Amino acid sequence: MDESTEKVLSTVASVRHISRERVSLESSLEELEFDSLDRVTLLFELEKAFQISISDDEARSIRNVRDVVEGVAKLVAGAALDSAAPEAIK
Amino acid sequence: MGARRVAVTGLGVICALGHNTANTWDAICEGKPGIAPIHSVDLSRLRFQNGAQVRGYDSGKYFEASRADMLDRFAQFALIAAREALQSSGIELTPELREMTAVVTGSCMGGQSTQDAQFVELYEKALNRVHPRTIPRTMANAGASQISMEFGITGPAFTVSTACSSANHAIGQAFWMVREGSAELAIAGGSEAPFSLGLLKAWEAMRVVSPDTCRPFSKDRRGLILGEGGAMLVLEPLDAAQARGATIYAEVVGFGMSSDAHHITQPSVEGPVRAMRAALRDAGFLPEQIGYINAHGTGTPTNDLTETRAIRELFADHADRLAVSSTKSLHGHALGAAGAIEAVCTVLALREGLLPPTVNFTALDPECDLDVVPNRARPAQVECALSNSFAFGGLNAVLAFRAHGD
Repeated sequence: MDESTEKVLSTVASVRHISRERVSLESSLEELEFDSLDRVTLLFELEKAFQISISDDEARSIRNVRDVVEGVAKLVAGAALDSAAPEAIK
Repeated sequence: MGARRVAVTGLGVICALGHNTANTWDAICEGKPGIAPIHSVDLSRLRFQNGAQVRGYDSGKYFEASRADMLDRFAQFALIAAREALQSSGIELTPELREMTAVVTGSCMGGQSTQDAQFVELYEKALNRVHPRTIPRTMANAGASQISMEFGITGPAFTVSTACSSANHAIGQAFWMVREGSAELAIAGGSEAPFSLGLLKAWEAMRVVSPDTCRPFSKDRRGLILGEGGAMLVLEPLDAAQARGATIYAEVVGFGMSSDAHHITQPSVEGPVRAMRAALRDAGFLPEQIGYINAHGTGTPTNDLTETRAIRELFADHADRLAVSSTKSLHGHALGAAGAIEAVCTVLALREGLLPPTVNFTALDPECDLDVVPNRARPAQVECALSNSFAFGGLNAVLAFRAHGD
């Protein structure tokens, strides 16, 4: 498991105040008993940890931890591309 | 019309004087104020240095970490006070009773300390997000909602925010609901936790905070001392309380309100007179029956002067036979919790036969020439008492209590 995936999983665990061992890629947020406030708290913590911005549409499509990991990876890659872009133009 | 009599059967307090009612009352009896240098902010940024904060507070003693995360300090104080009040009442909350129980809380600033901290992230650290718990922690009704959730109370629950009168308005509404039968039990009071830098600076700008201590009615008074905490009362019909053999601390017998309709911060004499008169009328009392007034008594030059004039105007000659003290000299001005802490003081004064002192009193002000029970608590059995709260915005709320003979 890469570092960023591990970071997502431990964030999921800490938002719900549960042990890291209970969280796997296959866990759904429902079975981890995320309520609506836990969901928005998770989004907040992920945005902060990865320096990304998660849109409401992207947030709505999340069902399980794998969705979160993939979504975060996509946004992190996009952010890296954005910050590289001005260099490319030069 | 056979209005029901309303008993106070439970008390809960956490404030600068103690983390429960017994410790708070001990400090009042000893006249030992809870005023000390403020420990929550960098004092070099404040013109005043002292506050009446809850010392040695550990939220972990009361809440699991996940629960504490959801609670601003003001809501924690509301819950702690409600737990003690319910426990001391010994009431069993049956499903039927839960539906007929009201929760009415007061708060002036709500969870604005949470908001203050979050806005630091936004404005000072230029981070572009605010924590999602900001709204549920900040909203002024968080105390009422959290109490209702913790105890499964499903009856009417709401919050009153009328600055420094919030808790008196809350207790007054709850009293009326129990008296007229729309609630069979009520948990009512207030809580406040205003010790964040932004809020302290806002109070500093009002230039009403004392640079040293709180000396209500004293010639050399220099302003109020901010306080924090929570206090709750359990109210129920007297006959129900007697039927279950509950301890009856006192009775709430009247509530009066008025608006100065005058100035947003400057108090008037007439507004307080009308609120006290309304409380007496609601209680069916003559002015001469009152033996003690727990004053609003903030310690600002203006409040204590106008309050003295209001008491003299309403009570005339009887004003010289009244004891009038300000317990804010001990627990500070806890804003939206003030009326509730003072209601507990007034109830215990009636029950214990001991009038709380106005401490830090150094010199008589001829303009505030009431018997303010200076510096030492005084044994005296009083039958009827008022507790005054007069808010910024000119909103006045006065409660009337009567001692209950066992």
